[in-house]
Amino acid sequence: MSYQNWINYLKSAEKNSIVSGRIRKVLYKFADGQQMSEEYNMDTGIVQRRAWRKCKQLMGEPEWEIELGEEPRQLNWSANKTNGAGDSDAMAGAEFTVRESNTAPLLTKRITKKNIEWRIRNMPYPLDVYNVKAQAEKRAIVVSTSNKKYYKVIPVPELDRCGVPPQQSSITVHHQFNTLIITYSKPDIICEMEAQVLMLLKDVETETSMDDLLKGLMAK
Amino acid sequence: MAEAEKIEVRDITRIERIGAHSHIRGLGLDDVLEARAVSQGMVGQKDARRAAGVVTQMVREGKIAGRCILLAGEPSTGKTAIAVGMAQALGTETPFTSMSGSEIYSLEMSKTEALSQALRKSIGVRIKEETEIIEGEVVEIQIERPATGTGQKMGKVTLKTTEMETNYDLGNKIIECFMKEKIHAGDVITIDKASGKVNKLGRSFTRARDYDATGAQARFVQCPEGELQKRKEVVHTVTLHEIDVINSRTHGFLALFSGDTGEIKQEVRDQINNKVLEWREEGKAEINPGVLFIDEVHMLDIECFSFLNRALESDMAPVVVMATNRGITRIRGTNYRSPHGIPIDLLDRMIIIRTVAYSEKEVKEILKIRCEEEDCVMHPDALTILTRIATDTSLRYAIQLITTANLVCRRRKAAEVNTEDVKKVYSLFLDENRSSKILKEYQDDYMFSEITEHDGDESVAGGGAKRRMESSGDAQPMEH
Repeated sequence: MSYQNWINYLKSAEKNSIVSGRIRKVLYKFADGQQMSEEYNMDTGIVQRRAWRKCKQLMGEPEWEIELGEEPRQLNWSANKTNGAGDSDAMAGAEFTVRESNTAPLLTKRITKKNIEWRIRNMPYPLDVYNVKAQAEKRAIVVSTSNKKYYKVIPVPELDRCGVPPQQSSITVHHQFNTLIITYSKPDIICEMEAQVLMLLKDVETETSMDDLLKGLMAK
Repeated sequence: MAEAEKIEVRDITRIERIGAHSHIRGLGLDDVLEARAVSQGMVGQKDARRAAGVVTQMVREGKIAGRCILLAGEPSTGKTAIAVGMAQALGTETPFTSMSGSEIYSLEMSKTEALSQALRKSIGVRIKEETEIIEGEVVEIQIERPATGTGQKMGKVTLKTTEMETNYDLGNKIIECFMKEKIHAGDVITIDKASGKVNKLGRSFTRARDYDATGAQARFVQCPEGELQKRKEVVHTVTLHEIDVINSRTHGFLALFSGDTGEIKQEVRDQINNKVLEWREEGKAEINPGVLFIDEVHMLDIECFSFLNRALESDMAPVVVMATNRGITRIRGTNYRSPHGIPIDLLDRMIIIRTVAYSEKEVKEILKIRCEEEDCVMHPDALTILTRIATDTSLRYAIQLITTANLVCRRRKAAEVNTEDVKKVYSLFLDENRSSKILKEYQDDYMFSEITEHDGDESVAGGGAKRRMESSGDAQPMEH
């Protein structure tokens, strides 16, 4: 029932921070080879994006896995989605192996001051089709559909870090504009943890991004 | 649809070419490593087989690195057969690399590089890795190809589990995989997201009553549950050499298939050794040392032997089995003579297994096995004659006669090879003894016969003549 492990883990990491626009980006390099990148909104102090880079076993460049926030939208859909951003124009052909079609449901996660929100886009079915359950034994929220079209186990890493199981009573569900919105109101312990993390990041030195400097110069 | 199914289920019997040792399926030992007289294609050589059984046990336990075993014996006493038997007994999980001593003299890489690649090919690493796979039942599959026949193919597939259903777009490469695996609606498949490998698990039970011709080998499986995309732990078995290749070149995996590996830097190897040891400590990988078999080991030269001396001391070394049919002979690359043509210091590190000549009974047994392997029915009398030929000439020559006699027998439309057939092929094909006898008799009629007596001695300068006398027993090529 404590987030102390998580705080210690973050403390052990080598941290780099840079400010770009109104966003502060922090890169954590952990001793076990993992990397985590976070983006904080400087006005609200809320994490907008968080991604993990886990080390791969055999070979090749590890990929970023997005835990939080939207994936960068790509204009040419043909580029390999799993490869993240970057090399897009070079492989405009059918270089990908498999990917979900662009009409398939797409899950994104967002954190606000009070809530954790998931949006599942491309979900045309009415609200009574969905069944959203908090499952303590899986430590996850399970979304299923009565027409057997969609099923997803959504892990909640924030709750894991605090050692709190998900609770059904915190969940509310909306459906509008082809989108299913699941809202989970944050328990106090999570807010507390986030505040602690912010305190931790206060000590990390920040450099201003070159882009901003250049932008400033151009304006003059 | 039904037509396509019919083609698919046509049973394909695997045709394997028959090789010199294809009749061997193991070492023919029982549970307590006692050799059975005739078993798994092995005959006789009880002591040698028992010894080889102990060695395989040592390899299986995998605790001891860098042991060296020498199989020594006269020609055609089953040295290679024992090595093949060991490979079969160890199974496909344990890497077994077989090479001939002369294979290292390649112009493309140095001798030591060839040897260290062979050594590293014989060490397997089992790596547990978590990968993302898609597992589901195919609901619908559409592949559109352009009318011109070339160009981009478009593919879409709908997969489902008991809980959900999703559409996927398919890339060009994976469309080919789908076509190769002949995937239809109703199949349960897995797709490895990283490598794009498609694997057909079977047909879904819900389609079991569909009217189509399914073969006996069609497997029915349950439709998978839960999410389509799963993280699964898979175990790869790769050899150290494969890891080397992947990491040494920019084109990575492709080098494995093109075979163009070239030299691998020692730094890369060291790095990989460290990495593998690290993984082992973390419990992510398991080292699975195998066997390197070097046939005709007397063909190696002194540099290779001293390289092996050092390489065997590394804790990543496999068990090395060597075979030679030479007695006391010159070590290649030196003027020194040594038992088996191997330096004494390396011999000292070896345990030596001796193979002995086969008895007449055993020869008969081997010939019988070979007859079976080569699909040849032989009359007992013919077999006796063949055994006689084998003891008088050589076992290999007698084995050559089996198929030839079978062909002669088929010419006269008989089902069984009789003594006449064997006699006929015996007169048709010369064995080594008779051939050399003829050569000696008619030497003067052959070309360049005059050189051998006089010029031959002169071409080898000084002490060369003496050396020639010494090494008359072994037909080794002279070192420059």
